[in-house]
Amino acid sequence: MKLIVVKFCFSFLVAAAALSYPSYAEQWKAPTSMKKLPNGLIVVVSEDHSAPTFGLCISYGIGFRLEPEGRTGFAHLFEHMMFEGTPNAPKGVLDRVIEGGGGNNNGDTRYDHTEYIETAPISTLDPVLWIEADRLKTLDFSVKNLENQRNVVEEEVRVNVLNRPYGLFFAIDLPGKAFDTYPNAHNFYGDFHDLDAAKIEDVQKFYEQYYAPNNAVLAIVGDVQPEEIFAKVEKYFAAIPARSVPPRPKVDEPAQTAERRSAQTDKLAKVPALAVGYRMPPRHSPEALAAAVTGELLHNGQASRLYQALVKEKQVALSVDGGVNWPLGTPFEFNGPTLMTSFIVYPPNVTEDQLLAAFDANIRDLIDKGPSQQDVDRVVTKMRSDWYGNLENPIDRASALSHATLFDGNFDLVYQIPDDLAKVTAAQVRAFAAKYLVANNRTVINRVPAPKDRNQDATKQPGGAQ
Amino acid sequence: MTRFKMIQNIISATSEIRSMKIFVGILLLASSFAAAQKEPPLPKDLPPYGPEKPLATPSVKSATLDNGLNLWLVSEPGFPKVALTVAVRGGLAADPANLPGLSELLSKTIDQGTRARSAKQIAQELQAAGGDLSASANKDSVDVSSVVLSSKLDAAIAVLADILQNASFPDAEVTLAKRNLTDSLEQQEAEPRFLASRARDKVLFTDHPYHVTSPTRDSIAAANSANLREVFAQRFRPDQVILVAVGDFHNDKVLATLKSAFGSWKAPAKAPAAAIPAPPVTVDHAVYIVPRPGSVQTTIELATIGPKLGDPDYEVTQVANAIYGGAFSSRLTSNIREDKGYTYSPYSFLASYLKAREMISHADVRNEVTSPTLNEIEYELNRVATTTPTEEELSKAKRYLVGLEALRLQDRGSLANRLATLWVAGLPPEQIGVSGKKVSAATAAEVDAVGQKYFPAHRTAIIAVGEEKVVRDALSPFGLPFHTVQ
Repeated sequence: MKLIVVKFCFSFLVAAAALSYPSYAEQWKAPTSMKKLPNGLIVVVSEDHSAPTFGLCISYGIGFRLEPEGRTGFAHLFEHMMFEGTPNAPKGVLDRVIEGGGGNNNGDTRYDHTEYIETAPISTLDPVLWIEADRLKTLDFSVKNLENQRNVVEEEVRVNVLNRPYGLFFAIDLPGKAFDTYPNAHNFYGDFHDLDAAKIEDVQKFYEQYYAPNNAVLAIVGDVQPEEIFAKVEKYFAAIPARSVPPRPKVDEPAQTAERRSAQTDKLAKVPALAVGYRMPPRHSPEALAAAVTGELLHNGQASRLYQALVKEKQVALSVDGGVNWPLGTPFEFNGPTLMTSFIVYPPNVTEDQLLAAFDANIRDLIDKGPSQQDVDRVVTKMRSDWYGNLENPIDRASALSHATLFDGNFDLVYQIPDDLAKVTAAQVRAFAAKYLVANNRTVINRVPAPKDRNQDATKQPGGAQ
Repeated sequence: MTRFKMIQNIISATSEIRSMKIFVGILLLASSFAAAQKEPPLPKDLPPYGPEKPLATPSVKSATLDNGLNLWLVSEPGFPKVALTVAVRGGLAADPANLPGLSELLSKTIDQGTRARSAKQIAQELQAAGGDLSASANKDSVDVSSVVLSSKLDAAIAVLADILQNASFPDAEVTLAKRNLTDSLEQQEAEPRFLASRARDKVLFTDHPYHVTSPTRDSIAAANSANLREVFAQRFRPDQVILVAVGDFHNDKVLATLKSAFGSWKAPAKAPAAAIPAPPVTVDHAVYIVPRPGSVQTTIELATIGPKLGDPDYEVTQVANAIYGGAFSSRLTSNIREDKGYTYSPYSFLASYLKAREMISHADVRNEVTSPTLNEIEYELNRVATTTPTEEELSKAKRYLVGLEALRLQDRGSLANRLATLWVAGLPPEQIGVSGKKVSAATAAEVDAVGQKYFPAHRTAIIAVGEEKVVRDALSPFGLPFHTVQ
């Protein structure tokens, strides 16, 4: 069978293009190539011979956003089922083989993709490729294993949401209030009612719909040669037939016209917290890069505007976190409506109004005066450094390459992001802030510790809103 | 939304382990998992592992400046980042007894100003170098680290050098940090894992300085800038400090930069503080409840003391732990997650300090399965203590540990931190290769021996964070003494 070849090659250094921008010495790329198999599976390979290891990521074009109504949390529950064995390799084989080969594996579900990742010494690559191909052919679809993983996932929700102060309200409840349609607003971790209702037929149907080679990108980074990898991938994956994948529905939101405010109590938290979410421009809009930079200008570390203003100068906050598409991904890896989220924990003797007034004053100042170009350059340097950090380990670089290819068909975006960021100007940040960081484009949830005397009723639902 | 969270927390521990009688656990309920251990054959068309390529150990250039400052440099050209980690001997265990946790306040304020730079300038200059400053207080050291762009390395070294030599602990910054630390202590006390680890170290280490995991409200209230400056002057002296740099640089060039940045730092004539003694090993097999009203889960930890770094049993215990609960395919996870579905992310880990090692089993479980979870954990501990691992388990565990180490050490920051930890323990960089060889050489008989010595469930203290009545009702059939701790 002949492979359809789409190949790109890059050298390590590209020097000339960057000279017109501020003093960014690094123009780092790793040699990377791509091929598409006749069944639609896209394979990306990046060489890195610094250690005899590899990282692998296979991403599928399905995430929380498209999980069926009445089945909240299903995309993630399904991810767990991908580890529960196949007729060829029963439950347990995957972990035995990967860990026994000196490696690690995991899976991760996000709004627009679900990824499966492994990293190990290079001697374990063949068995890992075999395992990934095997679970793309069929699964065990065992009722017993579904029951087991339903329990595991419900424990995961308990440990991360129900038994934990703040219960991820800034990630679950905030989009729930900020968006109006099911794909963007529902509880992605899953209501227990929906998790309990999931049947093995749902698992089978979801698998058949979305787990097709033509809905996946496989990226491998490490001590490998591209041609060798393409041959191996063909050997293990070529016989898996392409399947029809449901066309991607529109997930756009009706426009927001007014600020949305709400309040919650939290029976586990000891100090109050505020979450603020502004709706963001589409990822491919001209404003998206300025949005990403603004998100970091406001939230990245102790040098950030909000940390300096709220924690240090006004002393109305204990901690500030956030950014665009935070906390479930980077500003460059999603495919639908998203927010710029701020999660602020604040002292009990400060009121919500005081905190929000200080927050608004800082945003107002950004809109009125804009940042200095020096501020923007500094944050961009940090973002470039963070992004390179995200490409350092083979498993993380495989992940980034796989996402860029899945969303845009172009792995090279991974290497272009640092350069694109370098072009963002202070004027663009200011214009973005003036248009998007306005009250009628935002949602605010204030969450305060529940009064002690009505403390005993355990929260029943993820998100924990009372 | 991930399948599981891996705790990567391995390293060192204690030698005064009394001889153990072999103890076969008295199980309240027979485990249904007992027979499940004969692993089925692997799929017949699964390709075998390929040829092993040798995993290189890092090439470390070490140097000592005239003032005693220790430098370990690992040049890894190509990728444009550099990890810098500084470790200073003396941490939480060296804090004044009347100010427990002072090192934590120090780690929160060390970057809040020098004679030349304000807190904001420090944060901005590091950001302009592509980094953040991360400072943490451990039992045996205070660590300061940053990962920066290699093109900005000189600027980052300049900031770091200023902080390490001239941190000034401005009163206003210390006052703010004290307030924020008090509030974040309040916040941490809502987290079951924080409560579990705090209680655990109190139970295991009693009055020994290792029992401190964090400051208290009282110690935060009592601490002031003068205390911080005093501790800073005592501990931050070049002969008690290592600086590790890993990344894209030339050794000679960075060495020259470091000499000029740190060369004028003076070591005091006074001898550094004496090392702390090893903690006693007296662990009662009892249930220590940390009441957490409204908890929908019980967080269970079984903890004891194991062999510390340098002990001949150190590496073999790592192997035994990987078989028991230190990997996803280990017995503990297979049993209470993959078979029973009691918990999302159970694990066991070995926490290593200079003078002791903790061996910890951890699970967060829904209230209703608190009792069977303890039963299964005890069962699995006792199984390690009384039975021989299969050949597959042993070889899997050894390959897992060796492979994981290689994967971890290809990350610049992890390698820098790892090397700094070795230095604090008085060990050379080559220890990485030595440990790897010992792991690979471990035999079933040796694993059996450490199993008998360290793993019997009766050697552990049981920490249970949760709704007090739930825990008492669930665990009273075990017939163990109950204590309440905070």
